[in-house]
Amino acid sequence: MHDTPTLLQLRAVAKHFGGVAAVGGLSTTVRKGTVHGLIGPNGAGKTTVINLITGLFHPTDGEILFDGHNLEAKPPHEIAALGISRTYQNVRLFSGMSALEQVLTGCFLKRGSSLFASFAGLPAARRNWEEARAKSLLLLARVGMAGKADVLAETLSYGEQRRIEIARALGSDPKLLLLDEPTAGMNHAESQAIGQLVHELRDSGLTILMVEHNMGLVTEFCDSCTVMNFGKLLAEGTPRSCIDDPEVQAAYFGRKNDAKRIQPVG
Amino acid sequence: MEAILDFWAAYSATIAFGLVNSFIALSCYAVLSAGVLSFTTVMFAAVGGFVAAQMIGMFALPPLVAFLFAGVAGGVAAAVIAVIFLRLETHWMALASLALVLITRVVVLNTPTLTGGVQGMLVPVRVSVLELFLALAVTAFVFYRMHNSWYGLVSRAVREDPSVASTMGISTYRVQFIAFLISGAVGGIGGAALATTLQFISADTYFLALAFTMIASTVLGGSFHWFGPIVGAFVFTALPTTMQAVLPEIQDVAKGVVLLVIMILLPRGLVDPRVLKLRLSRSPKTAEQPDA
Ligand SMILES: Nc1ncnc2c1ncn2[C@@H]1O[C@H](COP(=O)(O)OP(=O)(O)O)[C@@H](O)[C@H]1O
Ligand SMILES: [Mg+2]
Repeated sequence: MHDTPTLLQLRAVAKHFGGVAAVGGLSTTVRKGTVHGLIGPNGAGKTTVINLITGLFHPTDGEILFDGHNLEAKPPHEIAALGISRTYQNVRLFSGMSALEQVLTGCFLKRGSSLFASFAGLPAARRNWEEARAKSLLLLARVGMAGKADVLAETLSYGEQRRIEIARALGSDPKLLLLDEPTAGMNHAESQAIGQLVHELRDSGLTILMVEHNMGLVTEFCDSCTVMNFGKLLAEGTPRSCIDDPEVQAAYFGRKNDAKRIQPVG
Repeated sequence: MEAILDFWAAYSATIAFGLVNSFIALSCYAVLSAGVLSFTTVMFAAVGGFVAAQMIGMFALPPLVAFLFAGVAGGVAAAVIAVIFLRLETHWMALASLALVLITRVVVLNTPTLTGGVQGMLVPVRVSVLELFLALAVTAFVFYRMHNSWYGLVSRAVREDPSVASTMGISTYRVQFIAFLISGAVGGIGGAALATTLQFISADTYFLALAFTMIASTVLGGSFHWFGPIVGAFVFTALPTTMQAVLPEIQDVAKGVVLLVIMILLPRGLVDPRVLKLRLSRSPKTAEQPDA
């Protein structure tokens, strides 16, 4: 696995809020075509890392390299255009939009025609619009939401909203997909379905960085992982080696060398 | 017979002002639907109004041609304003736009060669109700096309959650800049429509009362669909005449109460596409299909 090229690299990335270092000099690597887990107790700085990668925050220090680009000071929409897409820990769908419209919005970068051509209703733009619609319907089906296209997204269950968010994130055909706790609030079967989907996406060439609290899912679905605590790197490697790491045991589970007591932390 | 004629006179004036206020409300909606609360419409209307009045005075243009110039002038003014305003935080933008309303008045009063200053300006041409209707129909068609295009979709996304929209590759600056251009053009046309309807304009024509008409019509009609501001403008315009006819003694109070009641009962306005979508959501067709 270590011969696969690097897609994302964080070099001593730090983010301070006032005096607090939410992320304090984190370095880690995500390799192309892998499912990489980002783990750590609540408040460890995982969501902040995702916000830094997507440009919603800018690092206080350090640099983030993605696919040959330095993301330094780039605004979020330019970073998205490079091929990074994400979901949110607290689902953030657009209120007032149907499931289909949410995903269609996610297809914006791949719309294929200018805003003006779309406004003027030029034939090529109409065709592109229909293609984007068809693609959105396929993406909804892919996350198990076929037949919910016209439903106002905010009327759906939390789990369903999470799946629409994943479909929306896939609309831009990203190279890197960032999932912030995609299985939070889901039951076992639903979580397994998400894990399955993540594997399918990886096999179709996507790279995935996911924050996940369920250790079972991490060992089952992640190829590699990064463990953080207090904004710093604690361990890195295969899920098994991370979980067995005594430091991780101490920080994450409060006791050393007791791998059997591993519980999903949420 | 005389009574009927009197009634018609009042009635057609209400329709004319309903049409004029529709432009003003649509100008407000253009930016509000992209997440910007701004009173800059008043300034765009002033620019359009005085440009149209000058053009008509100098070249005896027909009203609809003057509207075109007013729209372009309003759009240019909006481009300048957008470059400055889009640097500000949202709530500061609203405040700055109110300041701009005051500045507009001072500028109008102090440039008598362009605006007639304290004397104001006579507009020698009157626009007909039919012409106003045609101009509004074209404008509404433009809004209809926008609503059903990528621009409409992403402006709704920017309004609901600008940072989420930005992580989907949408430049909020670009969307809101376009919104300002549209607001400027439509506001300019609205100002020209007002000038050619009143046939006299001054600094007071484009002042706080217009700001109030703009925001009340948009909120009343609903700011989630382009048809809302038009409905809102007509209701808001007809309200004083209606109240005068029904409750002449307390018409001002009654008008305020009716506005409040509508806003409390329908906080999203008279026209709300969400209601339709909710109905679609509950239709059995969508509920019964199994997940794929
Ligand atoms: N916008 C912010 N302003 C101030 N502090 C923040 C902000 N975002 C996160 N933090 C702080 O940074 C730390 C890490 O938070 P977060 O990245 O959300 O952790 P995690 O996702 O691992 O649970 C927390 O102490 C949190 O309070
Ligand atoms: Mg988090």
